[in-house]
Parts: sequence; structure tokens; C-alpha cells
Amino acid sequence: MKLLKAIIRPNKVDEVKDALAKLNISGMTVTEVRGHGKQKGHTAVYRGKEYNVSLLPKMQIEVVVANTAADDAIRAIVEAARTGEIGDGRVFVLPVEGSYRIRTGEREV
Amino acid sequence: MGNDEARRRVGREILEGRTGVAALDRYTEYVDAELRRLHGGAGAPPGGVALIALGGYGRRHLCPYSDIDVLVLFDGEPDEPYLRRVLHPLWDAGFVVGHQIREAGDLVQLEADNPEFLLALCDARLVAGDAALFARMRESFAVPSTYACVLESLQALIDARYAQFGGTLYQLEPDVKDAPGGLRDIAAARTIAAITDPALLQRGEEAVRLAEAEELLLTMRALLHLERRRNDNVLAHELQERLAERLNYPGKGPRQRVEALMADYFSRARAVARILDRLRRTAPAAVGLNLGRTRDGVRFIDRDRAIAEPETWLAAFQAALDGDAAVSDQALDLIRQHAPRFRGADFLPSAGHRAALLRFLEPRPGLYARLSEMHDCGLLGRLIPPFRAIASRVVRDFYHKYTVDEHTLQTVRNLERLSQRPRFASLLGEVDAPELLVLALLLHDVGKSGDGDHAQRSAAMAEEVLDMLQLVEPAREAVLFLIQHHLRMSQVAFRRDTEDPEVVREFAALVGTEQRLRLLCLMTLADVEAVSPDTLTKWKEELLWRLYVDTYNHLTTQYGDELIERSQSAAREYVAKRPPDLDAAEVAAFLEGLPRRYLQVVDRRTVYHHVRLARDIRPDEVHLRIEPVEGAWELTVVTLDKPMLFANICGVLSSFGMDILRGHAMTNPNGLVLDIFQFVDAERFLALNRGAADAVMHAIEEVVAGRSTAADRLRGREAGLRRRPVSRITPIVRVDGEASRKYTVVDIIAPDELGLLYRISRAISELGCQIDLVLIGTEGDKAIDVFHLTKSGAKLSADDQQALTAHLQQLLEAQA
Repeated sequence: MKLLKAIIRPNKVDEVKDALAKLNISGMTVTEVRGHGKQKGHTAVYRGKEYNVSLLPKMQIEVVVANTAADDAIRAIVEAARTGEIGDGRVFVLPVEGSYRIRTGEREV
Repeated sequence: MGNDEARRRVGREILEGRTGVAALDRYTEYVDAELRRLHGGAGAPPGGVALIALGGYGRRHLCPYSDIDVLVLFDGEPDEPYLRRVLHPLWDAGFVVGHQIREAGDLVQLEADNPEFLLALCDARLVAGDAALFARMRESFAVPSTYACVLESLQALIDARYAQFGGTLYQLEPDVKDAPGGLRDIAAARTIAAITDPALLQRGEEAVRLAEAEELLLTMRALLHLERRRNDNVLAHELQERLAERLNYPGKGPRQRVEALMADYFSRARAVARILDRLRRTAPAAVGLNLGRTRDGVRFIDRDRAIAEPETWLAAFQAALDGDAAVSDQALDLIRQHAPRFRGADFLPSAGHRAALLRFLEPRPGLYARLSEMHDCGLLGRLIPPFRAIASRVVRDFYHKYTVDEHTLQTVRNLERLSQRPRFASLLGEVDAPELLVLALLLHDVGKSGDGDHAQRSAAMAEEVLDMLQLVEPAREAVLFLIQHHLRMSQVAFRRDTEDPEVVREFAALVGTEQRLRLLCLMTLADVEAVSPDTLTKWKEELLWRLYVDTYNHLTTQYGDELIERSQSAAREYVAKRPPDLDAAEVAAFLEGLPRRYLQVVDRRTVYHHVRLARDIRPDEVHLRIEPVEGAWELTVVTLDKPMLFANICGVLSSFGMDILRGHAMTNPNGLVLDIFQFVDAERFLALNRGAADAVMHAIEEVVAGRSTAADRLRGREAGLRRRPVSRITPIVRVDGEASRKYTVVDIIAPDELGLLYRISRAISELGCQIDLVLIGTEGDKAIDVFHLTKSGAKLSADDQQALTAHLQQLLEAQA
């Protein structure tokens, strides 16, 4: 199993969710996060005064998929979240050793 | 019967067993009859007159040798012959008359420096003459400010009087009138209760105690007067013995009888002093008409009156809000019980009441708590009927944690707490009519009482309330806009790509003006935060703020790129709906090429008026209009563009001492200039001088025609115009060559000063720049002006930008 951790633009969440749903991937965690990558924020101006926008609002989507489904899922996320502009985000892929269903205690494979 | 006989009768009746109170009432009756007789024989003065008993005489407790305190109130000039014919016979009959003579008109002025007179007026009673005049006097007296003044003076008088007696009632030779626990204390207690809360003296036991004490003290005082044959109220040793015997106090010898009398006296006086002390501590302070404030909050003083006058209820909540207090359970219970009998309009019978409701809705700490009380006692649902539809309404969704009514009230609370979010708090400070925001918030979810698109339903339901409030454009439209679109900004901020300029452009087109943008932004913030305690995250706040800033920038820096075109539907509509005196071509030609923003900041009627002003305009001519607008004046200028024009007009206004608050200056591609200035006339030149508006307009005509310049008008005055800045705002000049396609945009933020706009625009013109568009704004002591400039028909070069920035910086810093 793989944990896919995608940091994306806030307005792309619905599209990513829909793309994953098409692959029958529905369980996910969505978190509001702030950060910056290469984008490093930018300078906004309000009333003639500049202020630095260093941490940008992003959404983080976490989803666990089977090893075999990982590539498709990554591709779906990347395609759905892409605008082509700087600040589109990242997908991280992490190995998952195991998972347990809390309600039943059973181990999932 | 003569006066002496009437006096003797008092003593006789008391000794025969009639109560002192009853005997004095008969004596009062006798004096009243004398006065009526004299009044009847005096011939009515031309304007009408009222003979009014004051103080103890007004209370019908006139003792045999007391002064007869009367007020002769004339409805016009005092009439000498009348006074002679009434007062002289009284003096001849041996009365000591304490007379006051007033004209009805004078009583409008509160005689705060004459506390004894004010206090005596509390017991005013008409003896003879014009009843309507008397009623008018009572009415003008019975106002909270007078009551507050009476209460304050009374407290001071009591303190001073107590000090004369060493602060104790245990006097060996007490003064039954003035000593602590004496007759003055009883009158004071009654007055305090009457003007604050009559219920304070309605406790059975205390009322009985007070009446018993009054009976004894008045009996004593009457007998003292008769013994001494003058107005002497001291119960001296030898008189104690005499009175003890006459009043049949038990005891073997005189000493025992005196002891019994004095024991009785002290026990009564003690009771009086205690009651007065309690009243002084617990009496509500008058905080409004029929409203008092005690520790448990604001209450109605006269319950029956409150029940009959539902239009006064809102004032209880306003008083609580003003005094940082609650509304008492007494008032809330009364409203809860009686509110269902009334409808919305019963609470708002006049324009004053409607304005009071809007004033009440201004966001400030405590408003949520007061609105919650109002909702809880049923008043809110009566005042704003659609609100009843969402009382305890449960709508299940993933996000909301509260019933719809509580969610709604919490939005108002969130506005109160805005100081925790300074950047949004500053927006609230820039909103012209924040009460409209609260009104919109109260109504934004009422449509959740039914199915379907709740925002549309809410807006439809709101119409009824806006009708009742007789709210007119543009306030009405603003409230409906906010309700209809209350979900829009969060949808765009949280779900759409706001880095896409098209998204911002569309949103900016929806809100149209900075004012609406601020309102919608604050509404969104308050609404999101009221969904649940953790819905408004820092993350969402940031997204919302960014959308605000992007939209604000779009509205102020890019609107010059979006011009009205003939073919545009809005323009066609203005042509189609034009009034009969305008022709289609003239409307179309006027609108074409003005910024689209124009149609959003100006209402339809005004647009047509501008078309008329622009008719047949020739070079060097100017068409003008000056008219009062809410709290300020508005100058509209239509002319053809020429160098220094804007600076000249600003300069003329400054030369008359006018402080320009806000405005728009617009130009169309054919060189037609339309400037709208709102300014404050602090010296009231326009209000006080006939022809003043013509003088201002003439001065503008002269400078536009080139016959004089603003500099001429201001020469020698300019130094005087510069008031010492009290503000610590650092001036900001920012020149942006990117934001707009056509213009170089200059943002200027500086301490507001008379003549500022003139100096800035003159400096810009002197550098050879053309001023095409200007947004003029003032927020608090800050001037916020945005200029759209070109030079020789194009944006400024980098060198020009630099020169301009340096020049303006220098100018503003020199000023600061």
C-alpha cells in the first residue's frame, strides 16, 4: 500500500476528488494547510502598501491506495490539479506497512 | 371665613380627633378657594394663565403658617394687572406668598441652577386657570433629562441638609420639617420613587410606615405653627411638653408624656430615614423616557404606560446597549406578555422610530446580547416578522452547529468581536452605514424557513421588512444585494481559482463598488464564523482577505479599462427607459466611453440629471449643481477637459474652506469631464448665506473660463489652510504602471487636510500629466485617493513615474 499525500490549490479539491472517485478511490482526508514550495509567496499591494504573502493557503489530500493502483491515482491527481502555473503543488508517495480497521480490529491487506 | 379662622380650624379639628393630614387638606382647600376667587376676579390676561400650587402646597399639605408657593405661568408676556389683582389681596390677608412667575416659553430651558424650584415643580398642581397650559408644562417637565437633573440635585440637597444636623436624626429639639427623618425626607422619598420607579414605594409595609410618619409629623408641624403663630418647625423643649399633652400621650407627669412623644417621634423619623436611605441606594437612574436602570438592568418605570406604548420598548434595549447593561427581567417579562398583541408597524409608528431601529442595529459590543434578549422575549420576531419563521429552526447539514436563529444572531456577535481581526475591523470602520450590514445579517437566512434557494427566498421575505422601515434606495438595494449574494464571496474565495484574473474580474463586476465589496466581505466573514466554532480557520480568513484585496485593486485600478459601449445591454436600457425630455442619441452619446463603474456608483435618476447637465456644453463652459446630501454637500461639475482643470476645481472648493470627503472624477474619450465631489462645509457658509452656492459656482466658472485661477484665489490663504496634522499616518505614494492597460495608477494615502487634493492634483498637472480618473476617499483622518493618469495620451514612462513619485513624496512629507 502507498500513502499519497498531495498538496494542491484549494480550488482544485473538487476536481481531484472527482478524478479519484472515477478510479473507485473514495476514502480520503482533506486538510487545510499553509506553506510554500518553490512558489515562495508573492507580494500583494493593498492601498498602496505592499505586504508579503509568504505562506499560501493550500489543501492537503491524503489517500491510501493499493500498490497497483498508485500510479493511476497519482496520474489522476496530477492531471486534475494542474493549471500549468507555478504553485500547482506536489504529490508525495510513502510506503504504508499496514492498516487496521478500528471498528473491527481486523488487519487489511 | 378669614385666613385666621381657617388656621384656627386646623387646630380645632386636630384636637377633636380629625387626622392632621385631613385637617391640612381642608386648609389647602380653603387657600385654593381663595386663589380661585382672586383669579376669577382678576380678569383673564390675553395669552392665558395658570395658577399652580408647588411643593407642600401642591401636595395639599399646607400648614397654617407655611409659605404659599405658587407658580404663575403665563402663555405669553406676564400680565402686570393680573399679578397685582391676585397677589396683593393675598399679602393683605396675611399670607406669605412664595411666588414664581414664568412664561411658558421659558420652561423649555431647564433651570438646572435652581434645584429647589425644579423639586417644587415635581409636586405641581393646577389651582386655577388654563388646564391645557398646565398640561403642556407637565409634559415638558416629564422628560428623562429633567428627571436626571432633579434626582441629582435632590441627592445633593439631602446631603447638605443632613450635614446641617450632624448627619443624625436624634436631635433633642428636632426640626420636624428639615431634620433627618423629617417631612422633607418623606417628600424626597416620594419624589425619588415617582420619577424613577413607583414600585419602590409600593411595598405594603413601607408605604404604611411612611404614611404613619407623615401623619404624626404633619400633625406636629401644624400644631407648632399654631402655637408659635409663624412658620417655625423646631420641636423645642417647652413645645414638646405642650404637644405631648394636647396629643394625649400617656404618662403620669409631663416628663413621662414628653418621653412617650419623643419615643414616638424618633421611631417614626427612624423609619423615614431608613426608607429614604434604601431608596437613595436602590432607585434606578433615569436612562430614558419611562426607563430606569437598576442593578438588574434597564426597567420600565411605569408599567401601565409601557404596556400601552409598545413603540417605547426598543428604547429599553437601546438604553441597555448605551449603558452597557442588560434589559431587566421586569421589562422582558412585560414585553413577553404583551408583544403578541402588536404588529411590526405598532413598534415603528414614525420616521423617528424607524430611524431609531436602524441606529440600534449599528454593530457594537453588547448588540448580540441585546438582540438575544429581544428574540427571547418575542420582540425581535414582532419587529422583524420573518425572523419568527426561523425561531428554533433546525436545518441539518454537514456544517451548521446551531439553529438558524442562533446562527443568525451569532453573525452579529462576530461583527462585535471584529477587533480580534484588525484588518477586517478596519473595513468595518470604512463602511458608511454598518447598520445595514446588521439588518442584512438578521435577514440573510430567514428563507431557510422553507425549501429551495434560501438566499432568494430570504431576499423576497426581506422586502416586507424594508417596506415597513420605509428604506429607500440605495440603502434598500444594498441590503437586498447582500442577502441575495451572501454565499457568493465564500464560494469564490474557497472554491475558485482567485489567481485567475477572470475570476476576480467577474466577482468585481458583481459587487461593483468598494462599499459593497466591504459589506459583502464582512458579511461573509461573520456568516462563516457563525457556522460553528471552528469553521472560520486562519486559512479561510486568508483566502477571504486575498479575494477582498484582489477585488478592491481591480475596482480601483482597473475600472478605467472597462468602458460603457453603446451596444452594451446596460447602456441600451438607460436609453430605453429615459425620461421624455431626453432623446435617445443624447443619452447614448453621454454614456459612451465613461467607465462602466459609473453606472454602479450613481443611481438612474442622477444619470439622467447628468445627461441634462452635459447638454450643449461648449469649451470653457461649465455646468454645475450644488445640493445638500446626507451630512454634506455635493457638487457636480460637467465641462470639457483642459489642463489643471481638476486642481482648479479642488482649489476653488478649498478657497471656500470646503473639506472634500469623497468623489469621482471621470473623463470620456471625447474629453467630457464629469466630476462629483462630496464635501463638508465646516464653516456652514452654504447653509447660512443666501446665494452662497451661486458664489461658489461663479468662482468655478471663472477658473474654468480661464478668467482667474485657483492659485489666485488661494494666494495668501494657502498657508492658513494647512492645519497642523494631528495624524501620525505616514504618507504613501505608490505609482503602478501595470495594473491598468490604459493608465498609470497612483495610490495616495495621506493625513487628511484641507486643500490636500488641490496640492496633489496641481503637482501632478505641473509635471505635465493628465488626470483622467480620480477616486476620492476619506476614512477617518486618512485621505485615500487613486489617480489614473496619462501623459501625452499614454502611460507614464519609467522616468516620469520616478519623477512623479519623488515629487509627490516630497510634497506630502513637507506637509506632514
